[in-house]
Amino acid sequence: MDSASPEQSGSGATDLRLQKALLERPGISIRTRLILGFLSLFFLSAVVTAAAWVMLSRLEVRLRFLEVADRYTMEIQQARRFEKNYFLYGTGLSDLMEHVENSRKLLDDAQAEAGKVLTASDLKLMQEHLKLYQGLVERLEKAHADPLAMDKEKAGIESDLRSNGSLMVDFALQLAQKERSKVNSTLALFKKWTLVFLVALLGLMVLIANFLARQMLGPLGRLTATAQRIATGDFTPIKPARWYRDEFSDLAVAMNTMMRELQHRHDVLVQSHKLRAVGTLTAGVAHELNNPINNITLTAEMLKEDYPELSDGERLEMVNDLVAQAERAQKIVRNLLDFARESEIKTEKLDLAELLRSTAGLVANQIKLQGAKIELDIPSTLPPIHGDRQSLSQVFLNLLLNALDAVKKGGHVTIKAWPDREKGFIHVAVSDDGCGIPPHVLPNIFDPFFSTKPRGKGTGLGLSVSLGIVRQHGGDIAVESAPEKGSTFTVTLPAALVPEIK
Amino acid sequence: MSERLQVLVLDDEPIVGKRLQPALAKVGCDVEVFEAPAEALKRIAEKDFHIVVTDIRMEDIDGIEVLERVLGKRPETKVIMITGYATVEVAREALAKGAFDFIAKPFKPQELRDVIAKAALALGFKGIAEAGVAAEK
Repeated sequence: MDSASPEQSGSGATDLRLQKALLERPGISIRTRLILGFLSLFFLSAVVTAAAWVMLSRLEVRLRFLEVADRYTMEIQQARRFEKNYFLYGTGLSDLMEHVENSRKLLDDAQAEAGKVLTASDLKLMQEHLKLYQGLVERLEKAHADPLAMDKEKAGIESDLRSNGSLMVDFALQLAQKERSKVNSTLALFKKWTLVFLVALLGLMVLIANFLARQMLGPLGRLTATAQRIATGDFTPIKPARWYRDEFSDLAVAMNTMMRELQHRHDVLVQSHKLRAVGTLTAGVAHELNNPINNITLTAEMLKEDYPELSDGERLEMVNDLVAQAERAQKIVRNLLDFARESEIKTEKLDLAELLRSTAGLVANQIKLQGAKIELDIPSTLPPIHGDRQSLSQVFLNLLLNALDAVKKGGHVTIKAWPDREKGFIHVAVSDDGCGIPPHVLPNIFDPFFSTKPRGKGTGLGLSVSLGIVRQHGGDIAVESAPEKGSTFTVTLPAALVPEIK
Repeated sequence: MSERLQVLVLDDEPIVGKRLQPALAKVGCDVEVFEAPAEALKRIAEKDFHIVVTDIRMEDIDGIEVLERVLGKRPETKVIMITGYATVEVAREALAKGAFDFIAKPFKPQELRDVIAKAALALGFKGIAEAGVAAEK
């Protein structure tokens, strides 16, 4: 395993690049996203609270002003009552003056705050009215001390006071009325906005909850799909799908590491199983090798013995036999070595018919030793496939060796291949008329380390490794079996229908 | 004895028969060569052979079966087994079933001649061993 091929180190570099790509994205952790979500909710609440605060303080000012307006109206009405009394009975002038003075103070005090709810012109008008009224009252007081002037002026002052007074009362009442209705409308608005805010908050919460759920369920679904993919033997590393990194990215990195380890274990498993198969083959190969060696020995010995008596034609025939038998021996050894050699996965365009024939050639002797018969039904017009020659050869070898284990002496093993052009697949069925597989173990036969062979005879990895290889090629293996009637394993592989463009 | 030693050679490798035919004829045997066990058995049924040389591992019918058939028809026939795997069990089975001897592939023509000479001697033929020695020289 120390002969790390460039391909392997290349894929290692790709893994590292992916790892870097996964980790180098800007990190936005789930915690950050939760905090941001709740912060935005808090922010909305803060804005609404501030707005409510401002509205409430305005309302407060209005209520205070309303109070002032009420008291002002009351003072003016009091003043007018004393004014009436004075003109009727000639008493209460000092009370009148006191109430007018009170009203003036109220207006002066309110001036600072009144600006917020009352236009400056309104206030000025009120102050002018009051000043005029106060002026009239002062004139009345002066006239009161001098009965002569009083008689002269009383009628004029009285009518002026009356008209001015009623104007002031009307104005103050109107103002108070206006303020009251404004306060009421503000309160109604406040009530409405509270409801609007509640609905907006609910909407925002649903939005955030949805967003966060999608953010978390998306990667979770992706990782679940990956886990299912891993279970079928696909160890393609996870690639970054989003522009940011979070806790799920760490999980993806961990899963990639796990897949790399699994791939490595899988490779070791495939190799160790291959070595088992090599062991099985070796005995047969040794026997198979004996035949050409025996032919060479016999021919060479006879050539040596009879050299002088032989004709040129006979000698040439014997030499040709020697060459042919030496080639035969070489081919047997090369076949085995080719199969046993550990080599990187190399996807190439393959002639499946040729692959099947040469694989059948590997077990030909095993078959002969067992007294079984093999039949090949492989059309030479099979479309090519893309795949790794060695791995696929191993798959069919496994199936053939299993079939051979199942058949008795004189049994039959058939390899039949046919294209499924409509779907772009090729089917290869390896059948035997052997002992079959009991129905209760049928679901388990592709499980790793499951074996029906006696302890020490099988690794229990053949079918599991074979299925792994076929799935890596985008295919599948199906099995049909009836006890005492035989089994059929059908390997389906995608055909390379589109010619390769170089 | 003036009768010539009648030998049948059965091996599914054609070269074996092709080379053994002249090799054994040279030492005074009448040799018939077969590649298919069925044909060989047919011939055995027709004619008596002194010695039958057969491969153990063949398609259709194996050497043990040939041995049984030969001995069943003519028990005094000496049967020599050729085996690719010189395993103890196969040899033991062959000998237990009455084979005269066995020879493991790969072998030299002379090694087979020696075994045949031994068998011929056991059958009362004398010329073969001498011829064999002569051919070696």
